[in-house]
Amino acid sequence: MITRSKFTGIALACAFTACGGEAPAPDRSAADETPIESAKSQDEEILVVYTTNYPLAYFAERIGGDRVRVEFPVPAGIDPAFWSPSPEEVAAYQGADVVLLNGAGYEGWVAKTSLAESKLVDTSAGFEDLYVVADDQVVHTHGPEGEHEHENVAFTTWLDPVLAIEQARAIRDALVGRLPGSEADLQAGFAALETDLVELDARLEAWAASVMDEPLLASHPVYQYLARRYDLNLRSVHFEPDEVPATGGWRDLAALMPGHAAAWMLWEAAPLDEVSARLASDFAVGSVVFAPCGNRPDSGDYLDAMRSNVEALEALPPAG
Amino acid sequence: MKDTLYLAWRYLAFHRVKTGILVGAITLIVFLPVGLRVIVNQSSRQLTARAEATPLAIGAKGSPTELTLNTLYFSSDVPARTTYAAATEVSATELAAAIPMYVRFRVRGQPIVGTSLEYFGFRSLEIAEGRQLAVLGEAVLGSRAAEQLGVSIGDHVISSPESVFDIAGVYPLRMPVVGVLRFSDSADDDAVFVDVKTAWVIEGLGHGHQDLSRPEAASGVLSREGNVVVGNASVMQYNEITPDNIDSFHFHGDLSDFPLTAVIAVPPDQRSSALLQGRYQSDELKQIVSPSEVMDELLDTILTVEKFVIAGAVTVGLATLATAFLVFALSLRLRRRERETLFKIGGSRAAVATVMTSEIVAVLAVGVLLALVLTFLTQRYGDVLIRALIR
Amino acid sequence: MMIRIEGLRFHYGEGDFQLRIPELEVENGTTTAFIGPSGSGKTTLLNLIAGIIRPETGRVQTRGEVVSAMTDEQRRRFRVTTVGLVFQEFELLEYLTVLDNILLPYRIHAALDLDASVRERAAGLAERVGISDKLGRYPRRLSQGERQRVAVCRAVLTDPPLLLTDEPTGNLDPLNRERVLDILFDYVKESGTTLVSVTHDHEILPRFGRVVDFRDFHVYEGGAS
Repeated sequence: MITRSKFTGIALACAFTACGGEAPAPDRSAADETPIESAKSQDEEILVVYTTNYPLAYFAERIGGDRVRVEFPVPAGIDPAFWSPSPEEVAAYQGADVVLLNGAGYEGWVAKTSLAESKLVDTSAGFEDLYVVADDQVVHTHGPEGEHEHENVAFTTWLDPVLAIEQARAIRDALVGRLPGSEADLQAGFAALETDLVELDARLEAWAASVMDEPLLASHPVYQYLARRYDLNLRSVHFEPDEVPATGGWRDLAALMPGHAAAWMLWEAAPLDEVSARLASDFAVGSVVFAPCGNRPDSGDYLDAMRSNVEALEALPPAG
Repeated sequence: MKDTLYLAWRYLAFHRVKTGILVGAITLIVFLPVGLRVIVNQSSRQLTARAEATPLAIGAKGSPTELTLNTLYFSSDVPARTTYAAATEVSATELAAAIPMYVRFRVRGQPIVGTSLEYFGFRSLEIAEGRQLAVLGEAVLGSRAAEQLGVSIGDHVISSPESVFDIAGVYPLRMPVVGVLRFSDSADDDAVFVDVKTAWVIEGLGHGHQDLSRPEAASGVLSREGNVVVGNASVMQYNEITPDNIDSFHFHGDLSDFPLTAVIAVPPDQRSSALLQGRYQSDELKQIVSPSEVMDELLDTILTVEKFVIAGAVTVGLATLATAFLVFALSLRLRRRERETLFKIGGSRAAVATVMTSEIVAVLAVGVLLALVLTFLTQRYGDVLIRALIR
Repeated sequence: MMIRIEGLRFHYGEGDFQLRIPELEVENGTTTAFIGPSGSGKTTLLNLIAGIIRPETGRVQTRGEVVSAMTDEQRRRFRVTTVGLVFQEFELLEYLTVLDNILLPYRIHAALDLDASVRERAAGLAERVGISDKLGRYPRRLSQGERQRVAVCRAVLTDPPLLLTDEPTGNLDPLNRERVLDILFDYVKESGTTLVSVTHDHEILPRFGRVVDFRDFHVYEGGAS
């Protein structure tokens, strides 16, 4: 791919945020700290990277190291997919050098804001043909984000570790394009991340092999990519972890169960006690948390959260 | 000497109308060719400067001049539309940065320029008040546009309907002014800048809730807008994107198919520029133009026309000058008795001659002086005139 | 002797007319009328006396100066200080106010200095002839009589020893005619100015001390002196 570092110069000077932030320090060897390349001014600048969800922020930090300052301004507890920035927050995104997008319709707000096209990187554009088309069209109101519709295409692409690696690769390429002198460092960061994601993939694959076609339930249609990757027999209802489902919700589940006798329901977060209790008592369905991690987890980082997810699955007693 | 000049002055003052007409004629004779030259020079320089600052423009096949004038000067002659895909195509070649332009609508007399944030950096436009565009539906105004429309931060502007009978039912869009740009002494000062997506909303390609139309209670501006009366007789209806309805706003169809009037392509070097131009050689639907080449051709034409006009002006000028001298000669003849009287009561030939000829000298002097003043003013304000003419 | 003419010959008009005056004298302080039909050369003689034109032969001596022998420039200077002229057609400048018309001689001669005293004198003259309320007006707004009075003021502003008037009442109605003549004669009497008037109006002759008839060039004595 022909990379042109001069594109950075063509991009907006209007709200160019000067370098000066410090990047979070991932586990890197001391050798990475020493500048290997010659002191071209571009290599000394720190790229300001904004992302629209937490996984991308994590990937960018892993890959970019101290060459980037990663910002992810969505407040904790809010689902970034249904978040709208205030004008001040939009201005912050405008000030970035790069804005990493998940793609697949994840960040609806981008289409309604003014961001410099040249700064946007659609990390899932490379596998557009692999998007999962979701067939739920149910509209419902709840939660802080307000009314939302489930779009035609599912957007939690990173839950498939293989696709996550592709997204990370796109991030690497975008950063290398803007920091050509740091290509080696960036590649090293990517390689380390890839190793971790491959490990996740292996563990999940092993677990999936152990459950095979066993029916599983999802509280909410967010696991499409996970299900497809591991060929899971997963059906979805529309429950929220912090709410008690309405009567209609329970009815839907009741209608679903006969043909899909699942023993476990995957939740985005720990459900309310009474809900999990009722699931267990009325439907004999246990609850297991598999956090999609669209936003920052309460503790630890993305990898910690994913490993917890996998451990939770691995801990499930076998069917029988 | 002072006294004879006094007499000359009284003569001119008494014959105000004649003096005025003669002075006016002399002024015009001198000013027309000179002023024309000044304007043409200035406009060439201006047009050339802006054209040279704009490397390449891509649009639908058609008149390169129309494409250039609409893209650079936001002229109201809107070229045939191309699509947003043209912009993504350019980006994909990695030979140039692509800036989409959709210049079609107006707010009263001011052009609405639908574009992207890159445009502001490209033209080195700075925010003087308020902030940059952030959210769909917002507008940032050039300094002159803000003056002309009498709005500032916090006010709203409303897009003007394109025709009186808007059968499609596309309502004007009411947009909050979030920023005003610093004066840049260019066509950008007259523009109302919006995100290109907002321009598509104006077109009717995007919309939100159905019943956005609500009668605006006390806005006098609206009744002045009114070529369009939609629905009931006196109620003006419009769309507006607010924080309440923005979440429900969406576009139908693929954004790639949405219209643009042009894509400004900014290649980093000559080689990229040449390569990019090469790609459109055999494109049947699109054309790529170099605005500076188009402007050069336009200016050649203007200069040729100017030569003819100046020749004409000079010819007419000479004829007028001859007529003026005829008037002077007749005037002298008419004042023969006065001459004799002055001579008889003892005026010297020199004094009498001074009184007689001062008329001519004064008229010529004042005429030339006024012509110089007008030329100076033309130099000073010529560019405003030129821009007004182009729009 | 104010005026002395000897052996004068001058062709005027279109060829045939020749003015021939073998001898003519006008004394200081007198009032003389030159009478004769139109075309008999009266105006020409005035011009010769004033030094406006020069004779072909002969000698014109005005106030001791041989005007006929002077250069154009000398005659002009002479005229400025010595002669006051009143014309039949008034010859006011239409684009000057009454006051500026009266002051005209001072504006047209570099030698004459237009100062406060001159303005006072002009104002005084205007008052004397009864036009002081019209000083700011333009001639077109004046009656014939008023215009002639302005012309008289202009002629006498420089206080010339010799006043030459050409048909001073020719364009006036009887009332104004008497008025203007009164003004002229009062002034002349008061200042001792020599008055020579060209006229073809026999009715005003009695006013003059002496009448010179151009027809047969008779000189009449008699009338008021």
